[in-house]
Amino acid sequence: MPVRKWLVVAKNEYRLHTSSIRRIRPYFLYMVIVLLAVYVAFIAPAVVSPFIDDFLAFIITQAAVPMVQIILFMLFFYLIVFPISETLREVQTGQLEIFLAAPIKPSDVLLGEFLGVMPFYAIAITVITGSFTALLTPLGLDMVQIATIIIIFVITLLSAFWIGIVIAAILRTKLGKTARGKDVGRALAVVIVLPMIAVMYAILGGGLVEALVDPGTSGMVRAIFGVLPSSWGAEVFVSFASNPGNIGAVGFETLTRFGGLIAFFVAVLWLGAKAANRAYSLEPTTFIASRAKPDGVFYKTVRYLGGGRSFGTLLVSVFKDYSRRLENLSWVAYAVGLVAMLGIFFSDPSSGAEDPLVSLSELGIPLLAGFVVGTVSRGKTSFFMYMKSPSGVGKFVKARLFQGWLVTVPIAAVLVAVSTILVPQITLTSLVIFTIWGSLRTMAAVAFLLGLALVIPVFSEESRERTLGIVINLMIAVFATIGLDVGFSRLGLSFESILPNLDPLTGLLSDHLLQTAIFSFVGIVLLYLGKRKLSRIE
Amino acid sequence: MKVVIRTDKLSKYYGKGGEIKAVDELDLEVYEGETFGLLGPNGAGKTTTVRLLNCIIKPTSGTATVNSYDILKEETEVKRVTGLLAESPGLYEKLSAYEFLEFMGALYDVPNDVLSGRIDNLLKLFGLHDRRDYLLEGYSRGMKQKILIASALIHDPPILFFDEPTSMLDPRAALMVKDLIKQLADTAGKTIFICSHILPIVEELCDRIGIIKQGRLIALGAVNEIIAQTKTKTLEEAFIAITGGVEEKELLAWREQKGASS
Repeated sequence: MPVRKWLVVAKNEYRLHTSSIRRIRPYFLYMVIVLLAVYVAFIAPAVVSPFIDDFLAFIITQAAVPMVQIILFMLFFYLIVFPISETLREVQTGQLEIFLAAPIKPSDVLLGEFLGVMPFYAIAITVITGSFTALLTPLGLDMVQIATIIIIFVITLLSAFWIGIVIAAILRTKLGKTARGKDVGRALAVVIVLPMIAVMYAILGGGLVEALVDPGTSGMVRAIFGVLPSSWGAEVFVSFASNPGNIGAVGFETLTRFGGLIAFFVAVLWLGAKAANRAYSLEPTTFIASRAKPDGVFYKTVRYLGGGRSFGTLLVSVFKDYSRRLENLSWVAYAVGLVAMLGIFFSDPSSGAEDPLVSLSELGIPLLAGFVVGTVSRGKTSFFMYMKSPSGVGKFVKARLFQGWLVTVPIAAVLVAVSTILVPQITLTSLVIFTIWGSLRTMAAVAFLLGLALVIPVFSEESRERTLGIVINLMIAVFATIGLDVGFSRLGLSFESILPNLDPLTGLLSDHLLQTAIFSFVGIVLLYLGKRKLSRIE
Repeated sequence: MKVVIRTDKLSKYYGKGGEIKAVDELDLEVYEGETFGLLGPNGAGKTTTVRLLNCIIKPTSGTATVNSYDILKEETEVKRVTGLLAESPGLYEKLSAYEFLEFMGALYDVPNDVLSGRIDNLLKLFGLHDRRDYLLEGYSRGMKQKILIASALIHDPPILFFDEPTSMLDPRAALMVKDLIKQLADTAGKTIFICSHILPIVEELCDRIGIIKQGRLIALGAVNEIIAQTKTKTLEEAFIAITGGVEEKELLAWREQKGASS
């Protein structure tokens, strides 16, 4: 009897995902099972034990149900988004032709892809479920209650994962056929996680938990999330915690919620299998190729700012290549989103201008600069064009520096201005000074991070490696900024301590200007080293 | 002679109102054991034709039979009797050559007791047996092409479609593939359908050729018949005569503009 096709695909998928650990592949699953058993039996209870008392106090409050609803929703959303984001990062349809030419049903391919990566998601599901079970065990829940909670978690998370796999497969086939579609995919992969970060920040710094204690807020959140299948388990979870060992007290509620969840799971499985035909197709989605429009006022201005002549033309070309990639624009949107959320949830303008200024200089501006110029080394082959032309590498570095400034400085200026306006009783002069400071700081950060990206280049076209390169450079920049700040204060090197009559804000600003000058200098050195490195690549 | 591929007004249109005619009312017959070459300029519809005949995409109108199976009604059977080397196929780069061929064999239901030996034989044939456990990501383009050809042969189908089979190969490997195609046709009795731009290969291998332009078949016959029909001396000249090309005097027209040479 021939092997079932979904099993062939699942085995292949598993092999692909364990390719880097091929030597231990035969033992990998057993190792994981043993480690997970150790986690569930020993580590999870030990990890949650310091929080048990707080948890027991929390579980009887108004905030318990909506909070568990939010947590389950986040996990649900994450498991949907993760496969989508992974797929969109590198949209590849090359293998589609293999499947489409072979005698295999699309639903078998989908099921195989799902089952092939299942072991890895099972790890996450077991860790999450194990942690929650460890929290509930001290309450004295009976075995039926514990088993029900485990099944609820597994079904909720599996449904999310299946939905994610189906959507990812459909998006892959829709977007993967054109260069524009692939670009859209990479752009979506970047910004798709922003809503999750927003909820996380709201919990950590936005006072969400405190707000949920209020019955009005709590009731509203409960009603909104209650319609989502991810929340149906939350009520069961909290009702079990309130009635340990007494499932009869909440029997009807458990039955309806649990039954609803099972029905939902079966429905998404069925719908996913039905959608599989749409997920595997090589029919072109569009024949409209992207066309460049004649240069408008914007590019004419960029050319003018680049001094006209050949450098102006080069700058415009570099700018077009940057801005026509949606992925680049989504990185900018991502950085602006993060900075805005940091401002909303973690910054307090009422305490003065210092808080937003420090937050922007240490985190916001490097983030923005890093995401804009961090991918400068993408695609090694294009560098050879510059290496071949007279003084080409120098022109390229200069053009990327100008382009980085043209993108980041206006955005940073707006961010600094908005942060400053929110400070009570701020004067117009301060507003202008801060905005100029922010612009200078951004120019220094762009030079620093561009230099760093050239000195530590990531030539790979793979999105994951590029992102890792950006993150490493960002960490260096952020730690360098914080280090400089801390170093100055430890050594007493602040204008305020040297000139005691100086007002604190002017002192702070002067300190930041000095740091900006240091960063600019280091940035110039890095740019020089980067240019040298780039000239010598082989 | 038995007809193994027959297309009947096979058409594939794209865009609003079907204004883009990728394949337009194609009528074609390919005989059993024959090596047939489909030629045409870029975008002529060669790959679309191959995809239609392999049930990868569906026709807008018309139909075709492959080994007597209808491409609209008997997709699975069509797929079983064909092997395809696609023009730009995706490989699973994180699999070894052996693992990839094992996967392909399983997709086509090759029994396990046959599969292992067949993979070994194919890898030996392509000179890759000693690299069977290396991941495909480390293979050169030519080596990858060999693996893809091996994957098209893995279920030993009676009909083989080769879309640009030698485009990425060095001359030695190209010669080997050429000889392999010859043997598959002459000794193993396979029916082979080749799409290629490399005219000498088509000329040497194909019993008959078809020339397609903008989705329409505009010439069909043996190579010498087509040369005779166009009153030219070579297949290259015949191809240009049929499909059109740039005239010699136009080639340096770009230099005539003032200051272009500075």
